[in-house]
Amino acid sequence: MRSPIRTRAARVLVALGLVLTAVLPVARLATASNHLILKTGTDQDLQVLNPFSSILVVDFEIFTLNYDLLLNFGQDLEPAPGFADSWSASDDGLTWTFHIRDGMKWSDGTPATSADALYTYQLVIDATAKSDASEDGYYLGAGYLEGYLTNAGIKSVSAPDASTLVVETEFANTLLLNAYVPILPRHIWESHTLDEIGSAEGSTPFLNEPPVVGTGPYQATEWQPGDHITFTRNPNYWGKQGAADQVVVQTFQAMDTAVQALKSGEIDYVRGIQPDQFTALQGDPNIQVVEGISNGFSEIAFNTYNRGPIEGGGASTTALQDPKFRDALAWAIDQQKLVDVTLGGFGEPGTTIVPPFHTRWHSPPDNPRSFDIAEANRRLDAAGYPRDASGNRLDKEGKVITLRVTWPDSEAEHATDAQFIKEWWSELGVGVDAFVTEEGKLLDDLLPPEGGGLANFDIELWGWVGDPDPTSLLNVLRGEEIGSFSDSFYDNPRYDELFLLQRAESDEATRFAQIKEMQNLTYDEAPYIILYYDAELHAYRTDRFGGWTNQPSDGGTPLFGYGSIGYTHLTDLSAVPAPTQEPGATAGPSAAPGGPDGGSTGSDSTPLILGIAALVVVIAGGLLVMRRRSATAASEEE
Amino acid sequence: MGGSFVARRLGQAAITIVAIILINFVLFRLMPGSPERVILRGTPNVTPERIEALRERWGLNDPVFPDQLVAYITSTLTGDLGYSFIARGQTVVDVLAQRIWPTILLFGLGEMVAIALGLALGAYSGWRRGGPIDYLGNSVSLILYSTPYFLLGMGFLLVFASSIKWLPTFGMLTAGRVYGSPFEFLADLGAHLVLPLATVSLGLVGQYAIVMRSSIIETLSEDYVNTARAMGLSEGRILRHHALPNALLPTVTLIAINLGYVIAGAITVEVVFNWPGLGTLTVQALTARDYPVLQGVFLLLSVAVVLANLVADLVYGVLDPRVRT
Repeated sequence: MRSPIRTRAARVLVALGLVLTAVLPVARLATASNHLILKTGTDQDLQVLNPFSSILVVDFEIFTLNYDLLLNFGQDLEPAPGFADSWSASDDGLTWTFHIRDGMKWSDGTPATSADALYTYQLVIDATAKSDASEDGYYLGAGYLEGYLTNAGIKSVSAPDASTLVVETEFANTLLLNAYVPILPRHIWESHTLDEIGSAEGSTPFLNEPPVVGTGPYQATEWQPGDHITFTRNPNYWGKQGAADQVVVQTFQAMDTAVQALKSGEIDYVRGIQPDQFTALQGDPNIQVVEGISNGFSEIAFNTYNRGPIEGGGASTTALQDPKFRDALAWAIDQQKLVDVTLGGFGEPGTTIVPPFHTRWHSPPDNPRSFDIAEANRRLDAAGYPRDASGNRLDKEGKVITLRVTWPDSEAEHATDAQFIKEWWSELGVGVDAFVTEEGKLLDDLLPPEGGGLANFDIELWGWVGDPDPTSLLNVLRGEEIGSFSDSFYDNPRYDELFLLQRAESDEATRFAQIKEMQNLTYDEAPYIILYYDAELHAYRTDRFGGWTNQPSDGGTPLFGYGSIGYTHLTDLSAVPAPTQEPGATAGPSAAPGGPDGGSTGSDSTPLILGIAALVVVIAGGLLVMRRRSATAASEEE
Repeated sequence: MGGSFVARRLGQAAITIVAIILINFVLFRLMPGSPERVILRGTPNVTPERIEALRERWGLNDPVFPDQLVAYITSTLTGDLGYSFIARGQTVVDVLAQRIWPTILLFGLGEMVAIALGLALGAYSGWRRGGPIDYLGNSVSLILYSTPYFLLGMGFLLVFASSIKWLPTFGMLTAGRVYGSPFEFLADLGAHLVLPLATVSLGLVGQYAIVMRSSIIETLSEDYVNTARAMGLSEGRILRHHALPNALLPTVTLIAINLGYVIAGAITVEVVFNWPGLGTLTVQALTARDYPVLQGVFLLLSVAVVLANLVADLVYGVLDPRVRT
């Protein structure tokens, strides 16, 4: 009986060894060095390295680390030097001339010239042309990036010499200066067809796997999908270098773990924490929390579809088409209460579709509403929505109004909003049937006949996130977007006219007046009730890196904003002797003389030794049990 | 006789797997929302033409039966599980392959530790029933058995990683770290492994100990044990040579079934420690509605359970010839 036990133990060890060798190839064996690594944690899971397939905030963050835009976003989101270092418009505003930085190189050493910018812009123009001509619809990747050039009315690009890029537009505008399109290395990308670049579902998709070649400050060098991605400093970067030699972007499934990792110093920055975690981190002397304003909003969207009844779908009452009805309902929403309860106080009540994040474009409404149930009732009476004998409001067809209120399951917090809204509107005699809908199904339900659907909903709660320019947020209420972007089917010719005017307006004061009118118009007519502008909750450690700078300075966050500028400001605090060693700050035994822990390889030794020890104990423990058993058995047999 | 027993068990397992494949097919066609919308999730400006093109391309316009079913079974049997929606451009097989090793490492080791500790504890406390080790071991086992993984894991994390900072908080390796030698790599892996491994093995040890204890007690009252005592054999020899082999039978079943559920149990432990295995993958795929990956995970999980049961049956057959009929 004994020898089988021994062989079993041996087999176990062999199996263990096999498993370890299976994992070993992951290790990159190289000479150890004192790398300064910036580690950031996020709740989002990086999904792509091909910029055209980018959807999530983290996708955009990562491609702007790899690449420069033609013009980057500055500290306050103003156009700043990027792939081009200077730019000018012709007198009629139709021709833009960009000067490409002299002597710039890609991270692999190849010269970076106007030919690369020309290649990238032409790729987008070709994709747009293909999309226009195509019967079955064609999009470049996720279809997000083309809009930055088409909204700017781009007509043609040319590169008269290696340092000049000339762009012709159909109408004068400044949107080109905000184009979120990364300039790609032609010598890498041109061997791939438009289909390989634009379609991730094709047979040979171009995934742009590491090592990535770009002109940005850091280049992706290693990627473990679903876990983390590692960036290494670009030796040929043209601008000011940040202190970090490497940047790691780590995905966390549980933000509690991310917060613990921040507290233990294993990561330096975390994005997407919860209000209670935010409050808990506030007391930590080495951690700074940031409450940024998000560039977006959560809204109540009404189904205002008024192009005739929809067979088998559509809204349950025509009242939703009436701006007076929607306005009255908006009076019966206590937005501050929703901010306090749903957002835990982190955010602010919403007003117009251009959030205060856009300091240059946000305009508070001229006729603001407040929370006033009596006023809401008065307005419903005045607008011709009487109550029946049991107190229910009737629409103009004499039908009792019961509104279906739904939200996607991916945005669970809207369940709280819906409960409050149901309560408040019941005091108006307006019934609410609140329920959650699976996101994929809701996307289906939101499609009007123009998009091949039935617009089978009354009210949905969801949100939008914007760009540095407000155009994309203004776009969602355009009549032309019914069938694609629009989920309220708002159709107002004046609004559409203003949209085109502001898009083609170069004078900031005039453009502001136009955008202000658009905000007032949609606030008063309320196709959307903007519930709140939620806060962006971030936190970072202040003991390893310095130079954290919010972007924008007013209400922004240091990282996960727009572009790579935040990374280039960072300084190395471990290089300078720690200025203050507060005695009571950390009572831990690891009061090492040489500054913060986790920085160099040397201070890592404690967990390592413990780890080895634990492994050894585990294995040895198992063996010991078996040996002792066989030893006693042997002695008994004697 | 033995051959037909093995053949019958293999046949049953094969039938179960076919049934699983069928259920997997039906289940994901009952999901709300149309698949083409899921593929296009987050994509603006979706025209009906594009949706139609996608439906055509993914074969969604073909009749569900038999065309889609036949296509599904053929590709599944040839190891083609399709493309992941979220990891754009990667096949499901690739995605699963990246994530299966960390899970096997964590739960394979966890099972071994739990088996060694649990069976030893159970056997000892059953043998010395009523003794101090029995009282202590039994109550500790019950507490561990009833503690959810995530609670145990979060507790470890708060104490050992976040407060006294002995061990890393998350992951399998220190991201971005460059290793000077394979030894350093193993040390880093080991350090990251301690807390999740402790969670997994402590979570399992309780039930193994409880089952082993009651099994030993039952066996010790059998006639053949009394006979052995009457023959004057030492207590230790009776335990090891007569009671233990028979008492192991029920635990073999338990362990084998647990092996199959290893991946399912992985979810909470892996999420707490951000361990890059199949558990975190399942959560990622669920939140992102990556149906092809979910389908792959389900298939893998159910096949694992079936195979584990098959192994249990076969091992049982070896241990106890009576079942081979």
